[in-house]
Amino acid sequence: MTGSRTLTGVGSTPRTGVGTARWYRPESGVTLPERPDPSTVDPDAERERFASARETAREGIRRARDRAAERVGEEEAAVFDAHEAFLDDPGLVDDVEGDIDDGTRAEHAVDDRFADAIERFEGMDGRMAERADDLRDVRDRLLRALLDAPATVDLSALPAGTVLLAERLTPSDTADLDPAAVAGIATVAGGRTSHAAIIARSLSIPAVVGVGDALAAVPEGTEILVDGEAGEVAVEPDGERRSAALAGDEASVVPDPVSTADGRRIEVAANVGSAAELSPASDRGADGIGLFRTEFLFLDRESRPDETEQYEAVVAALEAFPDDRVVVRTLDVGGDKRVPYLDLPDEPNPFLGRRGIRLSLEEHADLFETQLRALLRAAARGGGGDGDRDAGDLAVMFPMVSRVEEVEATLDRVESVAADLASEGVEHAVPALGAMVETPAASYVADALAARLDFLSVGTNDLTQYVMAADRENDAVADHHDPLHPAVLRAIDRTTTGAEGTDAWVGMCGEMAGDPALTELLVGLGLDELSMSAVTVPAVKTRVREIDAAAARDLAAEALACETRAEVRDVLGLDG
Amino acid sequence: MERIVEVVPAAGLHARPASKLVKTANRFDADVSVGRAADGDDGLVRADSMLAVTGLNVEHGESVRIVAEGSEASAALDAIEALLTSPVEDGEAENGDPNEVDGE
Repeated sequence: MTGSRTLTGVGSTPRTGVGTARWYRPESGVTLPERPDPSTVDPDAERERFASARETAREGIRRARDRAAERVGEEEAAVFDAHEAFLDDPGLVDDVEGDIDDGTRAEHAVDDRFADAIERFEGMDGRMAERADDLRDVRDRLLRALLDAPATVDLSALPAGTVLLAERLTPSDTADLDPAAVAGIATVAGGRTSHAAIIARSLSIPAVVGVGDALAAVPEGTEILVDGEAGEVAVEPDGERRSAALAGDEASVVPDPVSTADGRRIEVAANVGSAAELSPASDRGADGIGLFRTEFLFLDRESRPDETEQYEAVVAALEAFPDDRVVVRTLDVGGDKRVPYLDLPDEPNPFLGRRGIRLSLEEHADLFETQLRALLRAAARGGGGDGDRDAGDLAVMFPMVSRVEEVEATLDRVESVAADLASEGVEHAVPALGAMVETPAASYVADALAARLDFLSVGTNDLTQYVMAADRENDAVADHHDPLHPAVLRAIDRTTTGAEGTDAWVGMCGEMAGDPALTELLVGLGLDELSMSAVTVPAVKTRVREIDAAAARDLAAEALACETRAEVRDVLGLDG
Repeated sequence: MERIVEVVPAAGLHARPASKLVKTANRFDADVSVGRAADGDDGLVRADSMLAVTGLNVEHGESVRIVAEGSEASAALDAIEALLTSPVEDGEAENGDPNEVDGE
């Protein structure tokens, strides 16, 4: 019994959680065998083992990249590109193979050569130290593949109520966590902008990083309170501190639907990229799901999911939000999103090629049909009754729509799938249908789209990319890629204006929707629904209640009249 | 042939700019090396090695020398110069930063 004490670090997810300390020490997971006599080592066989471990590691890195891209975004997923660059480092590979040729087993050669590299980076300033983390991550993947050793602690299967303590967490580690089980994270090292901190935020897991060596003295099994708002870790917190912290965390959550001060209802929903994110989204008071990405059902596997699996995943989402709406986006691959077993066309300009609905209507027509069958069956489970609901209302939206013809072709597909299900006697319903507005074309013809559909949802990240003709991935044009450029705001305005006079509502599901500093502008632009990372839901709901919709309209008009991004930021009272 | 450029990305030769430099160096039929301009030939390292490039620990605002030999040397230099002289928003988006890319 050490008594209550408080350690200080850097808060990185502004939430509080209490749970049982559990140490994660990945380095103890791999025990290297004795070094054999060099004369007994077969260099050819060892080179073979090394080559195959590299491929296993590469697959793992790419899977982690996809998962991070889905959960957090391309920005963070790019760290795994650096991992792959380390894996392919010609100097490192040559050194390892040279050692092997001298009679060293592959795992010892990897361990030795990576140790040299890690040592060079360790103990240097922050960014160099982060490279050491990257190298450790890559080394551990290689060693696990060589020794066929799974990770010591299965991070995806921690017991509920775990507070995970670690020296540091790699991006791969954090992407594995199940937010439903992990009550908090505290690390010895790392900063607020470390990849692990950012991924933890996207999963709404309370986190404090950079606590220092004092954390190392905390024994396994101790009760720990992680206060990500104050940046504190309380060891064996007293009852008062516990209840105060947890009550404070609860208080910021607004479970009920919100309206502006003058009574305009704004739905604040969550973007969800995996089944694990459903319960945190509901805990954070989200009014349903405004973007349920279905790609996770297709990643991390060798073949496509069948109709039943897709149906069950959607029903699980509907059951997590029995009183709300769940907007499912049909498979959105192409562009930068790849799925290995789906043969995607190789194109000179993938972002201007077969993406989203274009694939669904052409090359992936059969896959689209399977997905529509699953969705129409799931729709029968949703809504309808009142008082005794166990599943929310399903809505389905189609990505990368740019033409009315695509909407008409899509509606035909839906109709024919419904007819098939009816003739088979399978219970089904046609859900609300909508289009994502991600292209300038869609915003120009928003009136025609809205006339044929139940809703539109603005995907600001791609819309910004296409309006500004600036690749999201290309740092050289990052300056062009800002949704606050007047051109982008006017494209959003065109969308909401186009839907006026129809029954279609308009939402937004880009990351812009989750910034409380922009809520007033977005309400003023006429959006009915904002969908975002779950962690920002409470702040945006709180902000909505403070806003006067009439004043917001004036603010939006002022922003729309601006000529430059700087003027827009000035109107919004944001720095430069 | 060679060129001296000032590194503009905020992250210097780290993280994304570094992995992009390595990728770019690998794309061309040319042997590319990079180093601090002030360090002369002794400071040059192979640009196709992530370890070597990040090991330089070049910060934003420093001048680097890029040397390329081979049939596509000049195209490689152009591409790398473009990469190193473009401003990059800080890749570490803060929570709720509207610039944080979310894949939509």
